[in-house]
Amino acid sequence: MTLAKWKVGIVSCSGEEIPEGTISRIATRLVLEKLRPEETVTICLPLFLAGGEGERTFAKLFPTITVDGCEKGCAKIGTEKYSGKPFATVVVSDVLKKCPTLTLKSRDKLSAEEYEFAEKVAEEIAEKVDEALRRQNEQLRSEKH
Amino acid sequence: MSEKGKVVVVACAGMDKPLGSVASASVFEVVEKLRPQKSELVCIPPLLAGVSAQTELIKNLPIITVDGCAERCATKLIVKSGGKIRGRIFVPDSAKKHNLLPESASHLGPNGEKLAENIAEEIASMVDSLTQET
Repeated sequence: MTLAKWKVGIVSCSGEEIPEGTISRIATRLVLEKLRPEETVTICLPLFLAGGEGERTFAKLFPTITVDGCEKGCAKIGTEKYSGKPFATVVVSDVLKKCPTLTLKSRDKLSAEEYEFAEKVAEEIAEKVDEALRRQNEQLRSEKH
Repeated sequence: MSEKGKVVVVACAGMDKPLGSVASASVFEVVEKLRPQKSELVCIPPLLAGVSAQTELIKNLPIITVDGCAERCATKLIVKSGGKIRGRIFVPDSAKKHNLLPESASHLGPNGEKLAENIAEEIASMVDSLTQET
Protein backbone atom coordinates (compact mmCIF):
# COMPACT_ATOMS: atom_id res chain seq x y z
CA MET A 1 0.00 0.00 0.00
CA THR A 2 1.30 3.46 -0.84
CA LEU A 3 0.46 6.22 1.54
CA ALA A 4 -0.04 9.66 0.06
CA LYS A 5 2.59 12.08 1.27
CA TRP A 6 1.20 14.95 3.30
CA LYS A 7 1.17 18.18 1.42
CA VAL A 8 0.22 21.66 2.47
CA GLY A 9 -2.00 23.75 0.19
CA ILE A 10 -1.11 27.41 -0.16
CA VAL A 11 -4.00 29.66 -1.11
CA SER A 12 -2.84 33.09 -2.22
CA CYS A 13 -5.13 36.03 -2.86
CA SER A 14 -5.12 37.35 -6.43
CA GLY A 15 -4.56 40.80 -5.04
CA GLU A 16 -4.11 42.51 -8.38
CA GLU A 17 -5.48 45.83 -7.16
CA ILE A 18 -2.72 46.44 -4.61
CA PRO A 19 1.06 45.87 -4.36
CA GLU A 20 0.57 43.67 -1.27
CA GLY A 21 -1.36 41.21 -3.48
CA THR A 22 1.58 40.96 -5.85
CA ILE A 23 3.81 40.23 -2.86
CA SER A 24 1.36 37.45 -1.83
CA ARG A 25 1.60 35.78 -5.21
CA ILE A 26 5.37 36.08 -5.54
CA ALA A 27 5.99 34.90 -1.96
CA THR A 28 3.71 31.91 -2.59
CA ARG A 29 5.60 31.02 -5.75
CA LEU A 30 8.91 31.27 -3.88
CA VAL A 31 7.65 28.73 -1.35
CA LEU A 32 6.35 26.40 -4.08
CA GLU A 33 9.41 26.58 -6.29
CA LYS A 34 12.35 27.23 -3.98
CA LEU A 35 11.71 26.89 -0.27
CA ARG A 36 9.35 23.89 0.09
CA PRO A 37 8.74 22.42 -3.41
CA GLU A 38 8.19 18.85 -2.16
CA GLU A 39 5.85 19.78 0.64
CA THR A 40 3.50 22.29 -0.94
CA VAL A 41 0.98 22.76 -3.73
CA THR A 42 -0.90 25.86 -4.70
CA ILE A 43 -4.66 26.16 -4.80
CA CYS A 44 -5.83 28.61 -7.44
CA LEU A 45 -8.22 30.92 -5.56
CA PRO A 46 -10.43 31.96 -8.51
CA LEU A 47 -10.85 28.28 -9.49
CA PHE A 48 -11.56 27.39 -5.88
CA LEU A 49 -14.22 30.13 -5.71
CA ALA A 50 -15.65 29.23 -9.12
CA GLY A 51 -16.43 25.72 -7.86
CA GLY A 52 -13.29 23.68 -8.60
CA GLU A 53 -14.11 20.38 -6.88
CA GLY A 54 -10.50 19.14 -6.91
CA GLU A 55 -9.33 22.29 -5.14
CA ARG A 56 -12.12 22.21 -2.59
CA THR A 57 -11.65 18.52 -1.79
CA PHE A 58 -7.90 18.96 -1.39
CA ALA A 59 -8.46 21.83 1.02
CA LYS A 60 -10.85 19.71 3.07
CA LEU A 61 -8.38 16.83 3.40
CA PHE A 62 -5.03 18.60 3.68
CA PRO A 63 -3.89 21.54 5.80
CA THR A 64 -4.00 24.93 4.08
CA ILE A 65 -2.19 28.21 4.61
CA THR A 66 -3.87 31.31 3.27
CA VAL A 67 -1.81 34.27 2.11
CA ASP A 68 -3.72 37.53 1.88
CA GLY A 69 -2.42 40.86 0.70
CA CYS A 70 -4.65 42.92 2.95
CA GLU A 71 -7.02 42.71 5.87
CA LYS A 72 -10.00 41.97 3.60
CA GLY A 73 -8.76 38.37 3.86
CA CYS A 74 -10.39 37.03 0.69
CA ALA A 75 -8.27 33.86 0.59
CA LYS A 76 -9.07 33.11 4.24
CA ILE A 77 -12.79 33.87 3.82
CA GLY A 78 -13.03 31.76 0.65
CA THR A 79 -11.20 28.81 2.22
CA GLU A 80 -13.37 28.89 5.34
CA LYS A 81 -16.52 29.14 3.26
CA TYR A 82 -15.85 26.24 0.91
CA SER A 83 -13.46 23.90 2.71
CA GLY A 84 -12.78 24.67 6.36
CA LYS A 85 -10.57 26.62 8.69
CA PRO A 86 -7.04 27.11 7.32
CA PHE A 87 -4.18 25.78 9.43
CA ALA A 88 -2.56 29.22 9.39
CA THR A 89 -2.90 32.61 7.77
CA VAL A 90 -0.33 35.12 6.60
CA VAL A 91 -1.37 38.71 5.93
CA VAL A 92 1.18 40.69 3.94
CA SER A 93 0.04 44.06 5.31
CA ASP A 94 0.74 42.74 8.84
CA VAL A 95 4.21 41.55 7.89
CA LEU A 96 4.82 44.95 6.31
CA LYS A 97 4.28 46.61 9.69
CA LYS A 98 7.54 44.97 10.80
CA CYS A 99 9.35 46.92 8.04
CA PRO A 100 8.32 50.54 8.74
CA THR A 101 10.77 52.05 6.26
CA LEU A 102 9.47 50.05 3.29
CA THR A 103 6.74 51.41 1.03
CA LEU A 104 5.35 49.03 -1.57
CA LYS A 105 4.67 50.58 -4.97
CA SER A 106 4.69 47.91 -7.68
CA ARG A 107 1.74 45.86 -8.76
CA ASP A 108 3.64 44.32 -11.64
CA LYS A 109 7.43 44.03 -11.46
CA LEU A 110 8.99 44.28 -8.02
CA SER A 111 11.98 46.44 -7.14
CA ALA A 112 14.97 44.73 -5.47
CA GLU A 113 13.77 45.96 -2.09
CA GLU A 114 10.23 44.71 -2.69
CA TYR A 115 11.53 41.33 -3.86
CA GLU A 116 13.58 41.06 -0.67
CA PHE A 117 10.39 41.68 1.28
CA ALA A 118 8.59 38.96 -0.74
CA GLU A 119 11.39 36.59 0.31
CA LYS A 120 10.79 37.53 3.93
CA VAL A 121 7.04 36.78 3.55
CA ALA A 122 7.96 33.48 1.86
CA GLU A 123 10.10 32.54 4.87
CA GLU A 124 7.13 33.14 7.16
CA ILE A 125 4.93 30.93 4.97
CA ALA A 126 7.60 28.20 4.92
CA GLU A 127 7.79 28.25 8.73
CA LYS A 128 4.04 27.66 8.87
CA VAL A 129 4.35 24.83 6.34
CA ASP A 130 6.89 23.13 8.63
CA GLU A 131 4.61 23.63 11.60
CA ALA A 132 1.63 22.12 9.72
CA LEU A 133 3.66 19.05 8.73
CA ARG A 134 5.06 18.65 12.24
CA ARG A 135 1.50 18.73 13.58
CA GLN A 136 0.37 16.12 11.03
CA ASN A 137 3.24 13.80 11.94
CA GLU A 138 2.52 14.12 15.66
CA GLN A 139 -1.11 13.31 15.00
CA LEU A 140 -0.19 10.23 12.93
CA ARG A 141 2.18 9.04 15.65
CA SER A 142 -0.43 9.42 18.36
CA GLU A 143 -2.98 7.54 16.26
CA LYS A 144 -0.56 4.62 15.86
CA HIS A 145 -0.06 4.25 19.62
CA MET B 1 -12.43 61.28 -16.72
CA SER B 2 -15.46 60.01 -14.85
CA GLU B 3 -15.94 56.37 -13.95
CA LYS B 4 -18.60 56.33 -16.67
CA GLY B 5 -16.05 56.45 -19.49
CA LYS B 6 -14.05 53.53 -18.13
CA VAL B 7 -13.82 49.83 -18.80
CA VAL B 8 -13.13 47.23 -16.12
CA VAL B 9 -10.50 44.61 -16.89
CA VAL B 10 -10.42 41.38 -14.94
CA ALA B 11 -7.81 38.64 -15.23
CA CYS B 12 -7.73 35.23 -13.65
CA ALA B 13 -5.05 35.12 -10.97
CA GLY B 14 -3.65 31.99 -12.54
CA MET B 15 -1.38 30.93 -9.69
CA ASP B 16 -0.86 27.43 -10.99
CA LYS B 17 -0.50 28.01 -14.72
CA PRO B 18 2.03 30.00 -16.77
CA LEU B 19 -0.73 31.34 -19.03
CA GLY B 20 -2.49 32.65 -15.93
CA SER B 21 0.60 34.72 -15.19
CA VAL B 22 0.45 36.03 -18.76
CA ALA B 23 -3.18 37.04 -18.13
CA SER B 24 -2.16 39.04 -15.06
CA ALA B 25 0.84 40.63 -16.80
CA SER B 26 -1.30 41.74 -19.75
CA VAL B 27 -3.87 43.54 -17.61
CA PHE B 28 -1.16 45.32 -15.62
CA GLU B 29 0.24 46.56 -18.92
CA VAL B 30 -3.17 47.97 -19.88
CA VAL B 31 -4.08 49.70 -16.60
CA GLU B 32 -0.61 51.02 -15.84
CA LYS B 33 0.84 51.84 -19.25
CA LEU B 34 -1.46 51.61 -22.26
CA ARG B 35 -4.84 52.92 -21.03
CA PRO B 36 -4.47 54.11 -17.42
CA GLN B 37 -7.19 56.75 -17.80
CA LYS B 38 -9.73 54.50 -19.46
CA SER B 39 -9.38 51.23 -17.58
CA GLU B 40 -9.85 49.96 -14.07
CA LEU B 41 -8.38 46.74 -12.71
CA VAL B 42 -10.70 44.71 -10.52
CA CYS B 43 -9.60 41.72 -8.52
CA ILE B 44 -12.18 38.91 -8.49
CA PRO B 45 -11.88 37.13 -5.13
CA PRO B 46 -13.10 40.17 -3.12
CA LEU B 47 -16.29 40.24 -5.21
CA LEU B 48 -17.04 36.65 -4.30
CA ALA B 49 -15.95 36.96 -0.72
CA GLY B 50 -18.39 39.87 -0.41
CA VAL B 51 -15.74 42.33 0.73
CA SER B 52 -15.31 44.43 -2.38
CA ALA B 53 -15.98 48.11 -2.77
CA GLN B 54 -15.94 47.40 -6.51
CA THR B 55 -19.29 45.62 -6.70
CA GLU B 56 -21.03 48.72 -8.10
CA LEU B 57 -18.28 49.22 -10.65
CA ILE B 58 -18.78 45.66 -11.89
CA LYS B 59 -22.49 46.19 -12.29
CA ASN B 60 -22.26 49.56 -14.05
CA LEU B 61 -19.25 49.43 -16.37
CA PRO B 62 -18.44 47.24 -19.38
CA ILE B 63 -16.02 44.44 -18.53
CA ILE B 64 -13.25 42.63 -20.40
CA THR B 65 -12.24 39.26 -18.95
CA VAL B 66 -8.88 37.59 -19.53
CA ASP B 67 -8.75 33.85 -18.84
CA GLY B 68 -5.59 31.78 -18.61
CA CYS B 69 -7.08 28.32 -18.94
CA ALA B 70 -10.14 26.35 -19.98
CA GLU B 71 -11.70 26.74 -16.55
CA ARG B 72 -12.37 30.36 -17.54
CA CYS B 73 -12.66 31.44 -13.91
CA ALA B 74 -12.56 35.19 -14.59
CA THR B 75 -15.52 34.92 -16.95
CA LYS B 76 -17.48 32.54 -14.70
CA LEU B 77 -16.96 34.66 -11.60
CA ILE B 78 -17.91 37.92 -13.30
CA VAL B 79 -21.11 36.32 -14.61
CA LYS B 80 -21.80 35.08 -11.07
CA SER B 81 -21.24 38.63 -9.75
CA GLY B 82 -23.77 40.11 -12.17
CA GLY B 83 -21.27 41.91 -14.41
CA LYS B 84 -21.75 42.73 -18.09
CA ILE B 85 -18.97 41.14 -20.11
CA ARG B 86 -18.33 43.04 -23.34
CA GLY B 87 -15.02 41.51 -24.36
CA ARG B 88 -13.19 38.26 -23.67
CA ILE B 89 -9.62 37.11 -24.15
CA PHE B 90 -8.68 33.44 -23.91
CA VAL B 91 -4.92 33.37 -23.41
CA PRO B 92 -4.35 29.81 -24.80
CA ASP B 93 -5.90 30.97 -28.11
CA SER B 94 -3.68 34.06 -28.15
CA ALA B 95 -0.63 31.89 -27.43
CA LYS B 96 -1.48 29.74 -30.47
CA LYS B 97 -2.20 32.76 -32.64
CA HIS B 98 1.12 34.44 -31.84
CA ASN B 99 3.06 31.19 -31.43
CA LEU B 100 4.50 32.39 -28.13
CA LEU B 101 4.71 30.54 -24.82
CA PRO B 102 5.95 31.68 -21.39
CA GLU B 103 8.80 29.84 -19.68
CA SER B 104 7.04 29.31 -16.34
CA ALA B 105 4.41 30.79 -14.05
CA SER B 106 6.99 32.81 -12.13
CA HIS B 107 9.26 33.72 -15.01
CA LEU B 108 7.53 34.62 -18.26
CA GLY B 109 10.74 35.00 -20.24
CA PRO B 110 11.00 37.03 -23.46
CA ASN B 111 8.30 35.04 -25.30
CA GLY B 112 5.89 35.23 -22.39
CA GLU B 113 6.51 38.97 -22.02
CA LYS B 114 5.93 39.46 -25.73
CA LEU B 115 2.71 37.44 -25.55
CA ALA B 116 1.49 39.58 -22.62
CA GLU B 117 2.28 42.74 -24.63
CA ASN B 118 0.36 41.46 -27.65
CA ILE B 119 -2.65 40.61 -25.51
CA ALA B 120 -2.42 43.99 -23.78
CA GLU B 121 -2.57 45.71 -27.19
CA GLU B 122 -5.66 43.69 -28.02
CA ILE B 123 -7.30 44.62 -24.71
CA ALA B 124 -6.40 48.29 -25.26
CA SER B 125 -8.17 48.23 -28.66
CA MET B 126 -11.24 46.72 -27.01
CA VAL B 127 -11.11 49.43 -24.33
CA ASP B 128 -10.99 52.12 -27.04
CA SER B 129 -14.01 50.64 -28.86
CA LEU B 130 -16.02 50.29 -25.68
CA THR B 131 -15.27 53.80 -24.42
CA GLN B 132 -16.29 55.25 -27.78
CA GLU B 133 -19.65 53.52 -27.44
CA THR B 134 -20.38 55.04 -24.00
